Amino acid sequence: MLTRKQKRNNWILTAVLIIASLFFLFPVIWMLANSFKPDVAITNDMNSISAFVPPALNGSFFDNYITILTNTSFVRYMLNTLFYAAVLIILGIIVNGLAGYALAKINFPFRERWLMIIMLLMIVPMETIITIHFLFIAKLGLLNTVIGYILPMIVNPFNIFLFRQVFTSLPDDIYEAAQLDHCSPVKYFFTMVLPMSKSVVATVSVFTFLNVWNDYLWPSLVFTSGDLLTAQIGLNAITSNENTTMGQTLAVITMVTIPVIIIYSLFSKQIVEGVVSTGSKEG
Amino acid sequence: MGFIELKNVCKKYDKTDKNAVTDFNLSIKEKEFIAFVGPSGCGKSTTLRMIAGFEEISSGELYIDGKKMNETAPMDRGISMVFQNYALYPHMTVEKNISYGLKNMKVPADEIKRKTDWAVKILGLEEYRYRKPKNLSGGQRQRVALGRAIVKNQKVFLMDEPLSNLDAKLRVSMRNEISKLHRELGSTTIYVTHDQVEAMTMADRIVIMKDGVIQQTGAPMELYEHPANKFVAGFIGSPQMNFYNVRLDGRTIIFKDNNKAELPETIAGKLSKYKNGLIMGIRGEDIKLDAQNLDLNTGSRQKAIIDNTEIMGNENNLYFEFGGVTSVARVSKYEVSHIGDTVEFVMMPHRMHFFDPETEKAVVL
Repeated sequence: MLTRKQKRNNWILTAVLIIASLFFLFPVIWMLANSFKPDVAITNDMNSISAFVPPALNGSFFDNYITILTNTSFVRYMLNTLFYAAVLIILGIIVNGLAGYALAKINFPFRERWLMIIMLLMIVPMETIITIHFLFIAKLGLLNTVIGYILPMIVNPFNIFLFRQVFTSLPDDIYEAAQLDHCSPVKYFFTMVLPMSKSVVATVSVFTFLNVWNDYLWPSLVFTSGDLLTAQIGLNAITSNENTTMGQTLAVITMVTIPVIIIYSLFSKQIVEGVVSTGSKEG
Repeated sequence: MGFIELKNVCKKYDKTDKNAVTDFNLSIKEKEFIAFVGPSGCGKSTTLRMIAGFEEISSGELYIDGKKMNETAPMDRGISMVFQNYALYPHMTVEKNISYGLKNMKVPADEIKRKTDWAVKILGLEEYRYRKPKNLSGGQRQRVALGRAIVKNQKVFLMDEPLSNLDAKLRVSMRNEISKLHRELGSTTIYVTHDQVEAMTMADRIVIMKDGVIQQTGAPMELYEHPANKFVAGFIGSPQMNFYNVRLDGRTIIFKDNNKAELPETIAGKLSKYKNGLIMGIRGEDIKLDAQNLDLNTGSRQKAIIDNTEIMGNENNLYFEFGGVTSVARVSKYEVSHIGDTVEFVMMPHRMHFFDPETEKAVVL
């Protein structure tokens, strides 16, 4: 039973949190509301509360969105990004998961040192090694290819560490029982380890998706052809075009933002688990 | 050669000075139920895991059905195992847990179904068939683990403390079920436990281990009646055997507190070489308080004050100080004594065990 003082404190705290969240939500609400307006209306509403109110639902309500979806390749960029994310999620789970499993369960020389190196790699920012990646991919002749984009993105020290942390707690006797059930090590990994670790698989998938969706630097270096561009690069290309209106720009930004918001709201548990189990944040 | 043969098997872990298991020799007959029993860290689970193939054998040889198995992978040894923590696959239903091994062994689907149905029925798991392990009780989980082991029709069952996570009542019923299953399936079973009651009630033969060394191997009653050393005598039987450091003067045993008891000439003669004393052991049930036994052994009557009692229902344990140690007498439920009562008792001379004070080995009478 809460005391009166505790109840009062809870009310104050709730009010403060609502005000704080509104402060962070204002730009998003503004973006969303104006993405349905023509440029004239955006300018007119700029200095009033109407800037946060969407226009009345009429025939031209979705004009900005329709223009973007029909006159630009934005749908293609979105589909490209979804495809890259799907491929990277699958490959990332396999490669980083196997590495994490080895570090957690297989005894091999210098295992702890390998783990230390991987942990050290977690603190190296992507930007510092991106030139090496670029030169490497260029040398292999893979610039402007899907493989060239995906290859350096597969291995992720953060994900390896995340998998390792979770796999360490898997009981060894399940592996022993599986061995007696004629289960090969590879089959064990796919039919036992991954299904038993659904939570970390979900966490890694979410982080990978957000990484791919939000990444700008690496795809901007690798891709030169319009067909392969990602949503973020597409966003830049569309918004920097002179013919794109402010309303259309806001519509593109909304479309790029919505998947991220959906993912965050659906998988906030996994994201928090990832942060809690490793003490760090990715994506 | 036995069905399972362990010859001079040793286990030494890296970076340790001592062997976890030393010179383990055992021949197990087909269809035999063997229990490895001993205190924690005695090497019983390690030995079982070496038989299973989960631990490398440092030296010595292991044969199963005449074939040397030292280097054979666990899955090719023809064994099934029930683990202490059940080791069920948490994301699979009861049915899938049981049939998983058969699927991997490429058994035809109709055969898998037949065997799974049989296991589910025999273990009373019909209504839990589609549940996952997290929705089962400890006893049900243990049954699933047993089901997984029996469907594969292997010749050897290994059980690593399978009942240790269950409550006392369930343990008794599962003990029964495992014994019944063993009789029905006729497989060779090696059962590891630290609970001597489990070993005594289930096994054809018991192997008692301490510090990685076999102390004695034999049928349960053989171990109970003729323990090879003080450790076995103390480990088997509940309450534990009473031990006294005694001196001998002719036919008279003199306890530390100067109480005396008379021995028959035949026994005293065999103990005459222990001039400096020896260890005498007697089980609680061989300390008698009834009038008939008191009358028959008037020269060896002892007195003590009861300082604790355990009412077990079917019998009573009476605790008292005697011979310099806390002793326990196990009497029938009709022999009621209370704390503070002075009781008279006799220690049955023919039921006494004697142990060499230096080696602690039993003196053969």
